Amino acid sequence: MPFDDPEIDDPNELVGVELPGDETVTLEMAAAFADEFAQLGFTRPQILGLFRRAEYTGAYQAWTLLGEEAIATLVDESLAVWGRVRYVVTDAVADEAVPARLFRSRS
Amino acid sequence: MSTVKNWQLGRDMNYPYDARFPKQQFAFVFNINRCIACQSCTMACKSTWTFNKGQEHMWWANVETKPYGGYPKWWDAKILEKLEDANPGGQVWGGKPADGRDKPYGTFEGQTIFEAAQRTLTPDSARVLGYLPTDEEWNAPNIYEDNPIGKKGVRNKIDETGEQLPVHNTWFFYLARICNHCSYPACLAACPRKAIYKRAEDGIVLLDQAECRGYRKCVEACPYKKSMYRGNTRTSEKCIACYPRVEGTDPESGGEPMETRCMSACIGQIRMQGLVKLAEDGTWAEDRQNPLYFMVHVAKVALPLYPQFGTQPNGYYIPPRWVARPYLRQMFGPGVDRAIENYVSPSRELLAVLQLFRRSNRIIYKYEIKEGPKIYEGSLHGKKVELYNDTVIAFGKSGREIFRTTVEEPIHVRPNIHANSI
Repeated sequence: MPFDDPEIDDPNELVGVELPGDETVTLEMAAAFADEFAQLGFTRPQILGLFRRAEYTGAYQAWTLLGEEAIATLVDESLAVWGRVRYVVTDAVADEAVPARLFRSRS
Repeated sequence: MSTVKNWQLGRDMNYPYDARFPKQQFAFVFNINRCIACQSCTMACKSTWTFNKGQEHMWWANVETKPYGGYPKWWDAKILEKLEDANPGGQVWGGKPADGRDKPYGTFEGQTIFEAAQRTLTPDSARVLGYLPTDEEWNAPNIYEDNPIGKKGVRNKIDETGEQLPVHNTWFFYLARICNHCSYPACLAACPRKAIYKRAEDGIVLLDQAECRGYRKCVEACPYKKSMYRGNTRTSEKCIACYPRVEGTDPESGGEPMETRCMSACIGQIRMQGLVKLAEDGTWAEDRQNPLYFMVHVAKVALPLYPQFGTQPNGYYIPPRWVARPYLRQMFGPGVDRAIENYVSPSRELLAVLQLFRRSNRIIYKYEIKEGPKIYEGSLHGKKVELYNDTVIAFGKSGREIFRTTVEEPIHVRPNIHANSI
């Protein structure tokens, strides 16, 4: 973003702006990710792997700030509930293949 | 100006044209709690529709980091500021979120982009309050928006070790966006050539390339900045909602309406898109078993993006539960607290509907739940959780089943050689 040096009189430049945020918020964000991915059927190593990857900035920031142990605790809490079940998706049996209609008729 | 009903604002408002509503409306729900900004949606759209010369800066679908980023840069902050300038201190909501479908978020007492234009713009022909982003604001979406600073002196280049740059030491979230195919499109209202139209069959907003002369009035007017100018053709372009897929005329669809490319590519399973039935007054007609209707009007977990702009957008978001509430109320309106409360403590039905996301690329018109026994009761983060062995079944346009998701307790069969071991 900062291709140019900040213009101090530009109110849209987010320079030195303080927003409310602390460990509690980060903890809530990490818990949200843990819950969501546990519900999607991810395993413990997969969810922890998500937090450890720097490319996923939000999750990685939480991992950096809170530490592996705190994140693992959150993941275990989520898996204790959502990891109990598995979601089985079954596609309906298709009828005979419908021929693809490549062109619309001009009529 | 005509007077039209905007149910998201809980009141009538002014709009340059009379209200006309399609039979059904293209709509979608994005669950922000799940988005990790993998950009699969962005690339699916890019590789399908905007890979040509002159479209390099175009991202019909994009994911941006809020509150720091935006595509174009500061799009929402700028239009919010313009509205505030037009109506200082008056951009507020009155009343309280209600259960009904008429005023679900209370009543917006401020000015929409159409109403503010009447008061502040000249000449009289100026219909929508907006602005034209600069070239720099369109350029380089996402670059460094997760980071407060880049390397000194390095410009227009992705940092090879970008992941080591400092990150914002506070909350943020990822906002996935496409055209909202609004019920009262600002792009359509602003076009002097009437090149933009809303389809009667599905409410998709399209821009007729043969009629467009590239005045960029739509680019200026769209508060979400989802209409974009193409220099080499001297016309504007916008998201077309992958309409051949939605129509079911895409060769892959086999005649069954399909979700758009960006929806289908979502690996985080945050997206669901469909078509909702509209009543004569433009509100959503009662369609209890439509999953979108359920999330917006029954569970009330999905909210429109910046409803105060007044375009009645058809994109809805399940807000991120960790983000400061005042920020979310500005972005999604007063329904935020209720939406997060309902999402954090989901009902049995909501849990089932959330299992419909991204199990198929066909549009779901209806769902049914076959209830099973309770298999777990406990608590998570201080909230009560109950799990049921339910099955949720999705049906397509023709009423035929598309798929079913079943919650199962895994059964571990002990192998014969350990049959008697503990």
